[in-house]
Order: sequence, then C-alpha cells, then structure tokens
Amino acid sequence: MKNRILVLTTLLGTLSSPLLFAEVAVIVHPSNNNALDAATIAKIYLGREKSFADGQSVVPMSMVETAPSSASFNEVVLKKSASQLKAYWSKLVFTGKGTPPKELATEEEMLKLVASNPSLIGFVDASKVDASVKVAFKF
Amino acid sequence: MKLKYNPRQRWLVGSVLLSTLYLPSAVAEVKLNGFASIRGTSVSSDGGLPPYPGYEEGELSFKSESLFAIQASADLSEGLSATVQLFGEGVNDFEVDARWAYFSYQLNDSHRVSAGRFANPIFHQSEYEKVGYAHNYTRLPKAVYIGFDFSTVEGIALDSQFNIGDYNLQTKALFGSWSGESFSAVTNNFVDFGLDNIMSANATFAGDWWQLFGGIFAAKVDGAIIDSTTVFPLAAGGIALASANGATAAQVNEFRQRLSWDEKDAFYWFSGFAVDHSNWLVDFEYVSYEVADSTDALNNSWFLALGRRFDNVVVTVHTEDYSQDKDFGFLNGVSHPILLATGRGIHTAFGQREFDGMGLTVRYDFHPSAAFKADYFKGTDTRSTVGDYQMFSFGIDLVF
Repeated sequence: MKNRILVLTTLLGTLSSPLLFAEVAVIVHPSNNNALDAATIAKIYLGREKSFADGQSVVPMSMVETAPSSASFNEVVLKKSASQLKAYWSKLVFTGKGTPPKELATEEEMLKLVASNPSLIGFVDASKVDASVKVAFKF
Repeated sequence: MKLKYNPRQRWLVGSVLLSTLYLPSAVAEVKLNGFASIRGTSVSSDGGLPPYPGYEEGELSFKSESLFAIQASADLSEGLSATVQLFGEGVNDFEVDARWAYFSYQLNDSHRVSAGRFANPIFHQSEYEKVGYAHNYTRLPKAVYIGFDFSTVEGIALDSQFNIGDYNLQTKALFGSWSGESFSAVTNNFVDFGLDNIMSANATFAGDWWQLFGGIFAAKVDGAIIDSTTVFPLAAGGIALASANGATAAQVNEFRQRLSWDEKDAFYWFSGFAVDHSNWLVDFEYVSYEVADSTDALNNSWFLALGRRFDNVVVTVHTEDYSQDKDFGFLNGVSHPILLATGRGIHTAFGQREFDGMGLTVRYDFHPSAAFKADYFKGTDTRSTVGDYQMFSFGIDLVF
C-alpha cells in the first residue's frame, strides 16, 4: 500500500512538475531585429500587441495544447494554465474581440512557417531550433 | 428573450449568414467555435419568475439553464470579417436565434469597427454572460446580471485597445437600437418594449493582475405599449376617482405624462474592479439604472465575490444585492391629492421588488475544453410569491 502511494505521488509529481519542462525558444524570422522580453511576448500572445517595436505587424503561432513546449510557454510566459487561457480567449472569441493564435501540430511546421514570414513569431523546444530562424527569447 | 425581426434585421442576418457560411473556402477562412452549458437546477421556491424563470419547486430541471451556441466567423481578408452566432437555450425551448450577425473591419492595430447585430455591453461582463466557461460562476450574479431582454442590439460599435506602459486600456463606443419584449415585475408579464438611440461607452484599464472598469449607456425608451398595458391601467382607477373629485382634464394629462415611460431617457452605468493575484480572485461590480422621470425606481445593485484557485479547481463565494430607491420627485407639480396618491402607489409598486443572497460555486476544469460546476445559492426576494429560497445546481460548461 505504501509503495502504491509512493508510486502514485511520484507519478503525479512528475506529471505536474514544471522543473521537468524542456527549455523553450521563442523564435522569429532571421531578419527580425526586435528585442523581445517575456512581458512583450505575453502581450503579443494575449492579443494586446499587434506589432513588433519596429512597426512590423506580428502574428503569433502556438503549438497544440498537448505539446510539452505549449504547457511550459503558457505557464512561464503567459502565467496561465491551459484552462485559464481557454477561458480568457472564450471572452474574446465570443464577443468578437479577438482570436487565439493558430495552433500547429509539429515543431517542424512551426520552424518552416516562421522561417518564411517576417511577421510570424512562434516557439519550439529549444533543442529543435536550426539556422533558419532566430531565437528571440529562451527560458 | 424574444426578438422580433423586421425586414432590415432579416436582411442583416441573411447577408452575414451568406458571408460566413457560403463563401468558397478559397475566398475566406471560416472558423467555427461554440459553447454550451448543460446544467441541472433545483429551486426550493416556485417563484418561477425572472430572474429565475422556468423552475418548478423542488424539481430538478435540466432545461432552465442549459444552452448552446455555434459561431461562424469568416475572415474576408484585408481586416474584414463576418460573424454569425446561432444560439438556443432551454428556457426558450432551444429555439435557435441568430444572436450575433455582424461585419467587422480592423481599421489599424488599435481600432476595430463593427456593424450589425451584437451584444449590448450593458455591464462589464454582459457581452459573454452566456459563456459559462469564460467565468467561474454557475450564472453571473443575478442582482447585476438580471437577464435584460435587450442584451442584443443592432447598431455600430468601435472597439479600441491601447498599451500604456505596462498597462492596457480597452474601450468600446456603441450606437444602436433594440426592440422586443421585456419582463415587467409589476405584472409578471412580458410586454412590447424598445430602446432607440442607444449610446454606450465603457472602458477597462488593466495591469497584470487587476482590472478597473466602468461604463454608461443611455437610450430613448420606446414604451408606448408598456404605458398602455401596464402603467396607465394601474392608474385608471385613481384617475377616474380624481376626475370625479374635481381633477381637470389638463391635470389628468399632465399626470399621465409624468407616469409614462414612452420617449423618456433610460440611463445605465456600471463600475467595479477585478483581482487575480497569487490564486486569489476578487470581483466587485456596482450598477445603477433607471428610466428617468417616470414611475420606474432607481435600481442600485452590486455583487462582491472572493475566489481561491487550487490548481484546476476554483472555489468562489459571493454576495449580491438588488435594491430600488423610491423617489417621488417625478410627481413634483402634481397637485391633486388623489392623482398624487395614485402616482405614489404606482411608483411604490414598481419599486417593491428587491432581492439579495449568497452563493458558493465550485469549478473543476476536468477537461481542456470543459468545466464541471456545482453551486448553492440562498436568497430572499421581496415578492411574496418567491420569498426565501434556495437553489442548487450542477453541470458542465463547454467551449469548442
């Protein structure tokens, strides 16, 4: 019985621990020279900032909810759980005030899109970053 | 809510529907979203009257607070979009209605203009009042969100957003109109009613963990029917008695003008704050509204909520109060004692209904798109048909 409790608590701890999140990189097009911090990135992803500092319009892209980088990004940068984020967007979507970032299924797709469009901003597992994109922020 | 569609409104809904649903996919990207609530509710009093309509005493009803909506939004490119929301709720036998039908144009990063049929931002959370998943209550506190029939209006609106340092300011200005039926607590019936020249403005100023908000809306009342079916019949006996006791025709006409709602100005305003810090949540909203210089009493209502988030569970307790301030100032100049007494009596009848209560709500986000909620509410209503009552409900709110 004790062992079962131990296994269960370890499992729960493992599943919910933010310490196990892989490092995540926020990526932009290589030509993008804007300095980005977590607060600015959060504004972009919450629909409160529509342009980079240099005036270039910005379109945020997310990973699907089940991607580990998505959970990490929501918690560290947006400081919201997936449910809180969904409730936040529900208020905007159903009042016509905004639409959430498009969700991509794979990090390869994210890299490809960001590399081809200076307006896009995305995030991927930092180990997946290649030379086709620029890392604007890492955590 | 019962909406009446005139030809202009039919054209509007039809054109937005066509834009969103029938455009070839090569021209527009159409997004489908929706929300639903499936809720069982039981109430101990069969007041059965708004703001808690459709309940039977002691019975568990899955109809009175269940609803669904599907929203289609077509991005027509270059900042133009068309949105239609089809909505049905159990209290109206799930009769589907085009609740929203509007075009939007994003002018620039800060401003978006919309035209068509959309939510009336009466109070702070009115625009998403029906989207249960968006808030932590089973139902937004009824003392403030009492279920106005004019929750959807036709008009034009400007939504704006500004970043001011670390803070964010959102504003909305709207011009529109509404016609339909509205509930009268005096007669417990729905009567034809309208609001013309609705002008509304509101603002929300927010930091990372707090919000301050306020707004106002003013409108001209189209109340000829409520006058003829509710206000004047209540006065008929008093007027007849006054006329038999020397009241002149001029005095009676002046008196009727004082009582009436038609062409009078309605004013609504709200203010409040919200906090979400270290998993503690506080919501407060105070609202005040009246049809000025009429038999309508000034309504002053508020709610205060304290919540605590435990991972994917939110526990919220709240208290709410709906009261009316009677003021006989609208009868100034009415000199005939019987007319004066009649006017005071009608005003007292309009202002007699008050209620308050306390509630406990638990929200459990058991699924990425669904929340289970259970709540208990204990309230008191001054209407003798309602009195003290308790409510219990549980259900699921979904978004997709």
